Amino acid sequence: MSRHPAPKQPVDNTRRRLLLGAGAAAGSVLVPGAAQAEAAAARHHVTDAPTGDASFADRWPFYGEHQQGVTTPRPASGMIASFDVLAQTPGDLEALFRGLTERLVFLTQGWTPPELDPKLPPPDSGILGPVVAPDNLTATVSLGSSLFDDRDWLKPLKPKKLQRMTKFPNDALDAGICHGDLVLQFCANRPDTTIHALRDVLKSMPDKLLLRWKQEGTVPVIPPNPDGRVESARNLLGFRDGSANPDSGDSIVWVGEAHDEPAWAVGGTYQAVRIVRNFVERWDRTPLGEQERIMGRRKPSGAPFNGHTEFDEPDYTKDPDGKVTAHDAHIRLANPRTAESRKNLILRRPFNYSNGVTKSGQLEQGLLFICYQADLEAGFITVQRRLNGEPLEEYLKPIGGGYFYVPPGALSPGDYVGRTLIEAAREGKASPT
Amino acid sequence: MKAKHLLAAAALAVLFGGQARAEDATLDLVGPIADYKIYVSENLQKLVSDTQAFTDAVKAGDVEKAKSLFAPTRMSYEAIEPIAELFGDLDASIDSRADDYEAAEKDPAFPGFHRLEYGLWEQNSTEGLAPIADKLMADVNELNGLITNLTLPPEKVVGGAAALMEEVAATKISGEEDRYSHTDLWDFKANFDGSQKIFELVRPLIEQKEGDFVKKVADNFATVDTTLAKYKDGEGYQLYDKLSEEDRKVLATAVNTLAEDLSTLRAKLGLS
Repeated sequence: MSRHPAPKQPVDNTRRRLLLGAGAAAGSVLVPGAAQAEAAAARHHVTDAPTGDASFADRWPFYGEHQQGVTTPRPASGMIASFDVLAQTPGDLEALFRGLTERLVFLTQGWTPPELDPKLPPPDSGILGPVVAPDNLTATVSLGSSLFDDRDWLKPLKPKKLQRMTKFPNDALDAGICHGDLVLQFCANRPDTTIHALRDVLKSMPDKLLLRWKQEGTVPVIPPNPDGRVESARNLLGFRDGSANPDSGDSIVWVGEAHDEPAWAVGGTYQAVRIVRNFVERWDRTPLGEQERIMGRRKPSGAPFNGHTEFDEPDYTKDPDGKVTAHDAHIRLANPRTAESRKNLILRRPFNYSNGVTKSGQLEQGLLFICYQADLEAGFITVQRRLNGEPLEEYLKPIGGGYFYVPPGALSPGDYVGRTLIEAAREGKASPT
Repeated sequence: MKAKHLLAAAALAVLFGGQARAEDATLDLVGPIADYKIYVSENLQKLVSDTQAFTDAVKAGDVEKAKSLFAPTRMSYEAIEPIAELFGDLDASIDSRADDYEAAEKDPAFPGFHRLEYGLWEQNSTEGLAPIADKLMADVNELNGLITNLTLPPEKVVGGAAALMEEVAATKISGEEDRYSHTDLWDFKANFDGSQKIFELVRPLIEQKEGDFVKKVADNFATVDTTLAKYKDGEGYQLYDKLSEEDRKVLATAVNTLAEDLSTLRAKLGLS
């Protein structure tokens, strides 16, 4: 399939690998190489698979202190899948965690499913072909409040800030796309890769996990600037999203010893997921000037009103009356950039979603918002409270999602995601099972 | 205040020539905005007295009377919804739907008109509805007080013509607003009337310059009127499920086109 066989060795410079991965897809479309042009001339069918060379090279290490998929740069496709957990004992839950970890290692590192007797169903859906390449796949496991609340032996171990998501004033939460005991976040270069991963997990553990809901999303792939700087992707409102994202520094994202959390949770992080419908028809009929006032940024460049590029920082100290950037502009409410508001920083990792048509014949699309923070209360919940009543609400309707805790990573082969929780549960029990 | 505006407009005219037209338009809007304020006040007065009768019937346990008053009472609210929505908390308390709550109809937080509608139609009872009726009446009274003391922002008034069409297009055309009573056509009528009122008030300001636009919008309002008139029944309208698929498409197309066209109304009047 590939005219440029991918290196079989994993490249371990993560940053360089990301650029290669993200650039490859865009590059193959925007600047076709000579070889590709020749191939195109030789043979072209409209149903030919789009060419690209993301394969075994686009692989993230699964093992580590933290789980992957949090500070890992965001690829083009993402999925959140939420499950009910059937396990009722520490032993059952350990079996789930071990089995899940095993599948996620295969999926994120790549493997070749065995050939079975054709009288049997195939061991793999086959949608990625006979060899499963990682394609930049990351898998992130997170746990919902209900997992702890519904099991007496887990209750005392619940992370301090973990809670069931409750309605903010502008929310219209649909119970069918909220919450869950366990969530998997899959991210990859291509949507087929995340679908493949989900189907593998469903097929592998039907006795342990019951799918509740899922939401997929994408982000537009754009080439880096000539200076190598990559601009933030745009959301479905046409604005750049993520310009002011903090560096994925430890103190913002990862729970450490200093945080008031159970010891097993160190190395983890809180995940907030929100399915935020955008009323795009109405937005597209809103004057550009108003769109920009509501957001607090210029639409073409993403620059704040006192800057030229999206990376320029808005300076509110020179604008105390909100004459340049309105006090209720989205970016000003979300991040007022005061010394006090620094502790409310969150690491956003959203995807755009597009689901079809509503009963009223309008587009059902918006943002699969995902963010990470070491303190859910100080992070997402505080930021969202500040945003309550913002003018942008007229164009948004949060309809689903939930709050989850991402446990620390599996350290090395033989270890599994969730081990520290299981060990803590066993220590807490008089007669462990 | 007015003199100041004139002065500013004159200064702008000198400085920027063409741009001064925007300022002139703002001044021209003083009359239409004042007229619109009267329209809002009349609707509010009617809303207060109708809501009183409706909630009295609920509290008296008179299910049939309450049912008969539900749809007409809502019309004066729906006609001025863009102004009512300036007070988001009250709008949510008065007119939110079961979908706004995770436990839907069973959610104890589900308030207002649609909670009463649910009780009256789905449960055919007024049991437990008295506190909800009292709260609705209190909310409507509060809204009345707030709007009466409000200086209507011109861009909100003019933008309201489009906003009403956006409401219909996004969440009403499907018949999901009055899902228990199916009295949606009453709401439609009020929304269209409210939008058309704003359009007609500012129409003289753009009639000359924007003849094609004015005609297109007026024609679409006429299409809506003709279509809805087919479903007239006494003082009100037939149930939503009587609306033919063909007419639903005609209405949906008119709504979308009105929403597109009216979204330029602010700019045509020089409002930002």
